[in-house]
Amino acid sequence: MAAGTAHGVWSQERIVLALAALLFVAAAIFLPGFRDIGNLISIVHSVSVLGLLAVGMAIVIIGRGIDLSAVAIMAMSAAWYLQLLNDGWSEWQALGTAGAGVLAIGLVNGFLIAYADVPAIFATLATGSFVFGFVRSRLITQDAIPVPAGNWLEQLGGFHPLGIPPEVFIFGGACFIAYLFLRFTKWGRYVYYMGDNLLAARNMGIPVRPMNLLRYVISAFIALAAGLLTASSLHSMNTRIVNSTLLYDIILVVVIGGIGLSGGKGGMRNVIVGAILIGIMQNAMTIIDIPNLYQNLIKATILLIAIVIDSLVNPRDEQTAQQGDI
Amino acid sequence: MQPVIEMRKMTKAYRGVPAVKDVDFTLMKGEVHALLGENGAGKSTLTKIMAGVVEATSGEMLHNGQRVAFANPHEALQNGIAMVFQETSLVPSMTVAQNIYLGEEKFLNRLRGIYIAAQQFLQSLNFSVDPTASVATLGAAKRQMVEIARAVHHKADVIIFDEPTATLTPEEKRHFFALMRRLKASGVSIVFITHALEEALSHADRISILRDGELIETGLAAEFDRNKVVRAMVGRALTGEIYNRRRQAPDLRRRGRQILSVRDVSMGSMVRNNSFSIFEGQITGIFGLVGSGRTETFKIVSGIYKRDFLRGGEIEFDGRPVRYNVPVHAVRDGIVYVTEDRKLEGFFETMSIAENFYSGPLAADLTRSSVVSFAEMREIAADWSKRLDVKAINDNARVVELSGGNQQKVVIGKGLAQRPKLVIFDEPTRGVDVGAIAEIHRFINQLADEGLAVVVISSYLPEVMNLSDRILVCRQGRVVEEISPVEATEEKIMFAAVH
Repeated sequence: MAAGTAHGVWSQERIVLALAALLFVAAAIFLPGFRDIGNLISIVHSVSVLGLLAVGMAIVIIGRGIDLSAVAIMAMSAAWYLQLLNDGWSEWQALGTAGAGVLAIGLVNGFLIAYADVPAIFATLATGSFVFGFVRSRLITQDAIPVPAGNWLEQLGGFHPLGIPPEVFIFGGACFIAYLFLRFTKWGRYVYYMGDNLLAARNMGIPVRPMNLLRYVISAFIALAAGLLTASSLHSMNTRIVNSTLLYDIILVVVIGGIGLSGGKGGMRNVIVGAILIGIMQNAMTIIDIPNLYQNLIKATILLIAIVIDSLVNPRDEQTAQQGDI
Repeated sequence: MQPVIEMRKMTKAYRGVPAVKDVDFTLMKGEVHALLGENGAGKSTLTKIMAGVVEATSGEMLHNGQRVAFANPHEALQNGIAMVFQETSLVPSMTVAQNIYLGEEKFLNRLRGIYIAAQQFLQSLNFSVDPTASVATLGAAKRQMVEIARAVHHKADVIIFDEPTATLTPEEKRHFFALMRRLKASGVSIVFITHALEEALSHADRISILRDGELIETGLAAEFDRNKVVRAMVGRALTGEIYNRRRQAPDLRRRGRQILSVRDVSMGSMVRNNSFSIFEGQITGIFGLVGSGRTETFKIVSGIYKRDFLRGGEIEFDGRPVRYNVPVHAVRDGIVYVTEDRKLEGFFETMSIAENFYSGPLAADLTRSSVVSFAEMREIAADWSKRLDVKAINDNARVVELSGGNQQKVVIGKGLAQRPKLVIFDEPTRGVDVGAIAEIHRFINQLADEGLAVVVISSYLPEVMNLSDRILVCRQGRVVEEISPVEATEEKIMFAAVH
């Protein structure tokens, strides 16, 4: 069959971008205060930690997988790091130790998935719970660990070049580096090949198991960065965040931006588009003063609509589109 | 004879591109009607319209004189039109019997009852399938049988077979055609799509040939011969017919250096003490029935499967003993396996032709650097598209949008772009149209002429006999006989494969 004209124009990414633009215009016209430059910055600010986590999740999902331990790693590694600092460890010792812990968890995730053949969803669910339980019970003393006075994280939190918070730069930088990695390095291309057809990738000599390790280690370190960033802006790390809906918001950003859970497609553009849509929505809903419960409901509805539109506009192939999976 | 199905001016377009154009097709009561054509000619689309799987863009269809338009396959089935798919549509986790009776379970569904009924039913069809086995454990051939049994069970008066024999062994094919004759005798009308021209010529009453979505010719099978069919399919006479050439002693290639030696290799019950050697500069044909361990043996050679740890035998490649745990090492050493199942483990379907070709050098570490160069990618893609004559609008077309023959060329190209010393083709022309078969064969011959060690695994005897410089026959997990193609006959090879 000839190359489709339809799917080029209406990819999910564009639908979401159009939706975000529509929301943006509507909010700018109808909501008081939305257009303030301060508010616009706060929109991006509010999604930059989420977006950063979504960068790691996207790298995992594009290569066919999922990392449900991301939020646990983010909260617990940052909390442990702060605890070590509060216990009087030096900066480098604390960072090195927490970093080693994060590396270990990333490797365990990758090992379970690549070498022990455990489905990613179970492996990371289990390691996430383990990390939370172990760190909370053995390594830290309370739910929320404060940032010690005078620490670099405190200074980072107060550092606002051009009036823009540091999270925005870090999110942008992470997207750019991940973009370069995925698009221009051999290993980045391996991620796409694996996500598209794992068996074919393996048979033709792509080192799929080391690549699995690499992806989950990258995801774990991005989670650590997101944790430190959260701590710097809130001046503490509250580990209760593990039990929030943050994890689902990450997946929401990735999927709504158009990165299919089946792998092999999408990129950093999709993460940015997804994050911006969620940011605008949350901001608008907060200005209108919609209760949190309903915010979640609305987000869920939009996610469903995006997925349905995607599968209608971009069927996997003609046969399944016509007859479903018979 | 009266017509069961009449299609008039049937057209189906995908995104504006017609797959079937103004086709008038008539199926008579109790006839076996073969549908021939290259891949992408519109055979599948036409029959899917008939079976309610896809909706026609325009045109009308009469079933027993009534105007019908089926919205889904279920509706068609209720009207007595069943389609047996190429890619099976069974529920893998259920048993054979449950699959046959799928959708008509009673409120109290007693398994014992349906097992007994299924047993008798399968026996009446002469199919040796265990009704209590779960479908996931069955091989391709047996799944096909279950699929056929299901259609027969639904008492369809029109049954459409989409390449029913592609995965069957010769023995099973005989059973299948006997069954087809019995169905026909009981008044069932049959449409069957096939790539094997001999099957159409010897088992069909009438033959219709499609090309580029249009009906080129319909007529009694007796009025056709191979050449006429091929001419109608490809729109030209093929120069140097593919399978009518007999290998003569002088044009066999001499064996070069021994590159692979396999001694007593074993893997479970699939491969047992298998020993043979492969040489450079010639084509070694491997023939064996389904379950003879031929694919498994070469998957061990290329590191996809692991041989037994204890008493697994020895493999020497390029003068060095090897034991590959993962395909990476085999590929880096220069062994490339071109799969028999390109959809499952061959190409990357969401990606462009260029990216598929480029995956080869990228995986084998043959690119200029670890930084991806899109210029290099275009270069490689253009080079291989040209060498293999891949027909596509451009290199950015996605591989799923290509015909089977062109997909196969892409899979071959991305393997050869890894610059192998030994290349293993597993069923290189399965599901590939006649024109592309000739091109792929020419290409394989050229590789051997250039001095490469080439292995061709095939269950199609004429292919093995015409392509090979030596023929190894596999049975029960090992190579049992070596036959020279000069003295080989189909009977001789088959005899070695089954006894």
